Amino acid sequence: MKYDVVVVGGGPAGSITAKFAADSGAKVLIVERRREVGSPVLCAEGISRRIDKYNIIKKGNWIASNMDGARIFSPNRTIVKLAADIAGSETGYVLNRELFDKELAKSAIKSGAKIMLNTCAIDLIKEKQQIKGVKVRHFEDEIAIEADIVVGADGVESKVGRWAGLQTTLKPFDLETCAQYTLSNIELESSYCDFYLGKKIAPGGYVWVFPKGKDIANVGIGILASLSKPGLALKLLDKFIKSDPKLKDGEPIRFLAGAVPVAEPIKAVKDNIVLVGDAARQVDPITGGGLMASVEAGKAAGETIGEAVKQQKYDAEFLKSYEEIIEKTLYKKLKRNYVVKEILLDMQDKTLNMLADSLKDYNFDELSTLSLLKALVAKHPSLLIKLKPLLKLSRM
Amino acid sequence: MVSLMEKPKAMIDRKKCLACGGCISVCPQDAIDMQSSYAYVNKEKCTSCGICIKTCPIAAISSEVYNL
Repeated sequence: MKYDVVVVGGGPAGSITAKFAADSGAKVLIVERRREVGSPVLCAEGISRRIDKYNIIKKGNWIASNMDGARIFSPNRTIVKLAADIAGSETGYVLNRELFDKELAKSAIKSGAKIMLNTCAIDLIKEKQQIKGVKVRHFEDEIAIEADIVVGADGVESKVGRWAGLQTTLKPFDLETCAQYTLSNIELESSYCDFYLGKKIAPGGYVWVFPKGKDIANVGIGILASLSKPGLALKLLDKFIKSDPKLKDGEPIRFLAGAVPVAEPIKAVKDNIVLVGDAARQVDPITGGGLMASVEAGKAAGETIGEAVKQQKYDAEFLKSYEEIIEKTLYKKLKRNYVVKEILLDMQDKTLNMLADSLKDYNFDELSTLSLLKALVAKHPSLLIKLKPLLKLSRM
Repeated sequence: MVSLMEKPKAMIDRKKCLACGGCISVCPQDAIDMQSSYAYVNKEKCTSCGICIKTCPIAAISSEVYNL
């Protein structure tokens, strides 16, 4: 089997990369370990409406609900509200990820990409120091898939990067360890996506409630792995649900564990290997959101790879222009938010309460971490000293 | 035979594991792989550091106790 490009992983990052590469005429194969694209879901399922601008998939039942906005609850439950009616259309959706992923895979397939399910990548094919493709296991068979370019879209646990010699191992302080119930039989008065902060609630992370309908929501927790103990995430989540009057009578119809990199993006290109999505740590380190990052990076990676195939330039020199495309947009934001993550982690609960109190009546014109930061600095100019490292990264 | 002096290695409870990949991402020895639908520890590589055990959100990893 010989392809121009083999993409390891059929999640959003893999499918989008595959789609844009195939659009440029490249012969692309996606290999997916699971037997079904999009399942099991490993996600809180929130995404910004910026996805619409990419025009990759038409609106459909992959959207579970429209967000009214976001509310951040400080440790003493002071609410900072980012409302959709003020923020305009810049809010988001709660997804049905299993359907969302399938739509993206379909779009890649429509562009000409092929896909193999039940196919687990087990190593790279190396000949004379050169990477010639991927070795996969498909049930009992080991198959060699030759390719000029290998894409590692293999998620937080990425092996493709490690096999290629890229440093992908996460430090525990750069990983959120997560658990989530999809709770039915609850009563929600609005479709706000809620975030609960506090060292006792979720050390180094937060609890989220993302409504998927009037009586159903994803209720989950992420805590920093460096502050975790075995099973602590689930214990704290159960405790939160029991103590919340709206949630305590909820019944779970889905349960999942998760792991989210909250690191700085890493070097994503080596030789003819390209990492994208969670594998490249393309995740907002403050929110843990990675879907839009995968869309942006996947498009840049796919287009660059497509061009590389056209020009037969299968080397890092050419492929790393993918990183240059997202350097000034996505990476600037991720690097800035990594610095902010460190500052937030240092804050005591009482500081978070004070900051929330100062923002509780603020009208945000945009639902984003940047608009929150701008508001914080406007209210607390002294924060600028702490945020100084950011000034090099972005003009705020 | 396993030496009595050997430190207990990480062991994943397949009935509990939900294949989130967190343990794999933090393993400094690259000793954990994803099999079809659960994580699997390569005992040869595991150095008993315990990072994966602490990281698991649902306590699906423990120290293996050898029956000697």
